[in-house]
Amino acid sequence: MDSMDSSVASPDLGLALGFPFWVASRRRFKPDDPFFASGNLERELLAKHVALDLTEDERFQLQRMEIADANLFCPIAGCGARLEYLEEFEDHYNTRHMASCSVCFRVYPTSRLLSIHISEVHDSFFQAKVARGFPMYECLVEGCGAKLKSYKSRQRHLIDKHRFPSNFEFYKKAHPSKHQRQKLQRKAYKGGDAKDQESFMDLDAKKESKQTRPKHYRPQQEVKTGTERESEMEVETKLHHPQTTETKVVTNCEAKNEKAKAETEMEVEERIEDIVSGISKLSTVDASSPSSVSFGHRHSRGFAFVPRSVRNQNQISKREQTRKP
Amino acid sequence: MASEDTAPSHSHHRDSIKSSVGNTAANRRRQQAISIGKERREALIRAKRLCRDSIFDDGDNEKGLDEGEMVIDEEQSVLNARTAQTVQELKSSLSYQGKDATQKTIEALCALRKLLSKSEVPPIEAAIQGGAVPLLVQCLSFGSADEQLLEAAWCVTNIAAGGPEETKSLLSALPLLIAHLGERSSGHVAEQCAWALGNVSGEDMELRSILFAQGALLPLTRLMLSNRESTARTAAWALSNLIKGPDPKAANELIRIEAITDTIVKHLKTADEELVTEVAWVVVYLSALSDKAISILVRSDVVPVLVNRLVGSESLQLLIPVLRSLGNLVAADAYITHSVLIVGNDITDQVLYGLIKCLKSEHRVLKKEALWVLSNIAAGTLEHKTLIFSSEAVPLLIDLLSAAPFEIRKEAAYTLGNICVGPTKGSDNKSDIIVTHLVPLVKGGCLPGFVNLVRSADLESARVGLIFLELVMRGYPNGEGPKLVEMEDGIDAMERFQFHENQEMRNVANALVDKYFGADYGV
Repeated sequence: MDSMDSSVASPDLGLALGFPFWVASRRRFKPDDPFFASGNLERELLAKHVALDLTEDERFQLQRMEIADANLFCPIAGCGARLEYLEEFEDHYNTRHMASCSVCFRVYPTSRLLSIHISEVHDSFFQAKVARGFPMYECLVEGCGAKLKSYKSRQRHLIDKHRFPSNFEFYKKAHPSKHQRQKLQRKAYKGGDAKDQESFMDLDAKKESKQTRPKHYRPQQEVKTGTERESEMEVETKLHHPQTTETKVVTNCEAKNEKAKAETEMEVEERIEDIVSGISKLSTVDASSPSSVSFGHRHSRGFAFVPRSVRNQNQISKREQTRKP
Repeated sequence: MASEDTAPSHSHHRDSIKSSVGNTAANRRRQQAISIGKERREALIRAKRLCRDSIFDDGDNEKGLDEGEMVIDEEQSVLNARTAQTVQELKSSLSYQGKDATQKTIEALCALRKLLSKSEVPPIEAAIQGGAVPLLVQCLSFGSADEQLLEAAWCVTNIAAGGPEETKSLLSALPLLIAHLGERSSGHVAEQCAWALGNVSGEDMELRSILFAQGALLPLTRLMLSNRESTARTAAWALSNLIKGPDPKAANELIRIEAITDTIVKHLKTADEELVTEVAWVVVYLSALSDKAISILVRSDVVPVLVNRLVGSESLQLLIPVLRSLGNLVAADAYITHSVLIVGNDITDQVLYGLIKCLKSEHRVLKKEALWVLSNIAAGTLEHKTLIFSSEAVPLLIDLLSAAPFEIRKEAAYTLGNICVGPTKGSDNKSDIIVTHLVPLVKGGCLPGFVNLVRSADLESARVGLIFLELVMRGYPNGEGPKLVEMEDGIDAMERFQFHENQEMRNVANALVDKYFGADYGV
């Protein structure tokens, strides 16, 4: 009896499947459940009088060997790294998934995404080329190689070609807390530049005030009903347009429609994209679309590859299901 | 650690033999334990017990010492050769028709038995390949001399302590072993056969099934009633192996035996901690596999007696099955929390005391399983939650949540969360949050531990962490929840899920971040 097995429909949290609010319930395990493995091992060791001779380390080694077959993989999409034991994960995460931007301190799970972010957000040369019509926005799926002319069209590409969830955004709302943290960090590192970073905060503020701008106003692109909501992969980006320090901000799960998006693309493209987005919306949210986005994974060939970690995840969730009496 | 578990010192003969054999054997065993190769590891974790010393407990140590003093210390190849030769001798003695046939047979058996019990690594395979099994079956035939039966059963015992292939080679001996459990058999013979059957049952479900079908359950149960403590102990252990499943049929059959509950209660009260231990394991499997058993046990004296043991014993070996039995019973049947462990009753205070004792122990297993029991009690009535909340468990829980190994942290998390969530649901169909518990727990510093869980690679732990954070953000008064979570880097931990491969986790984490740290957060 899993404490977590009851999901309550929760429109306020915007989840179709319901949010698994905490329910205090008893949990029962079968006798051969891995939960009891270490106790069983202890029993046998003690009975053989070996336990008296073993040190804590040796016993721990035994236990480890016992659960060594349990496949443990990094759960970050696209990684699939094998973990010897759980405690290892934090170190692994810190070394492999903390590619952080030294300009804005945002963090990405792979260095490739980080470099894409840096180009798209902090590189005025990039923006210059975009303005001149070059296709600069790389497809996020490693190995695809496609380049699109706008953020929006890249997004469409991901959705259409690589079956990303329909409300995917390569973007993350900036949390004031993060800014606060970054401010503190910056103060620690260097005295200057605070002003430069301040502009980010201001941009946020500007974003709020820009919400009612009619010219580039576009209402919620996707229909955010509960049924269409899907998982979202989000990484931040902010556009640094050289002329207007307009920030394109897209918020993800929103119930309020007054959040508008400020656009910087040319309007022609907007219209094209309207059509394209309309087509995209026609396709149903596909239950068989992969539950993970495998960009950044070394071995992925487009999207056909399902990372081992995903496959194992399915196995693990099957195992969890059998635990329920 | 050595102080924690008691060496089984009541068996005098075992002690004296242990000391006479000296440290060399212990060291050798230790050596083999340290360099834990796969084979060695399997031998260590098997639910089998090698019979190295005579089961004779009648103080006649001289005889035992004489025979058992030397540890055979030879190279495996030499050992194997000797074994093959001994089997040949047994074979020829069995075909010998003369006057001393029985004596010769017994001598050959004795030699084989020594090889199988005094060597560090018993030459089991060599014995089987030498053709020992059919010979041993022959030796076990009805009407054979007691000493012959004893030696033969002893050999079979140790062969059955081997690996799967080796154990399965003993199929033809099984019905005879069962037969010799009977009340007409000599006590020692019956006990040795019980030991052999214990080893066979410890192998796998298939063999357990066969033994069950062949009718091993009843005679073993009867043996458990023996006045000889070593017999009762061995029978109880063998029984626990026989019923351990995963097929529940043996457990279901056992509980139907008349007066079994009384027998169990009686044994659980004895002074012999080893006997208590083995019988407690029987209760473990009864309570894990048989609903009928659960229903009977929770209404019986077994529960109070188990609680007494939990409180009174310091032996790790004993505490594990006692704790787990209680755990199984609490987990399976609400009757215990609602009708037996009523808040205000003595027994309830005792259980809590016993569980807290386990939390304070240095043993991982005790801590983890005690937390599991506690979490299930905390899933009971409001009174239970308040009882635990006001006890000295709370600072321990928070500490364990922060600093213990991962699997223990998870259990502590369940307990703490269950304390904060009521048994009733509000109109929004969400469980009521017990704010009077939640606030002090958060103030007591439990948030960092939960945030840490969110960062775990283990899906279930991460989920537990997230769901608790939701409680805090929703239920902490004055809307202070989100800020508190943020201060512990909760947003960071939740945002990690944006790249998590599990869709549900991404949804849940994103939903929380968006709801509580949306655009108007901090504005």
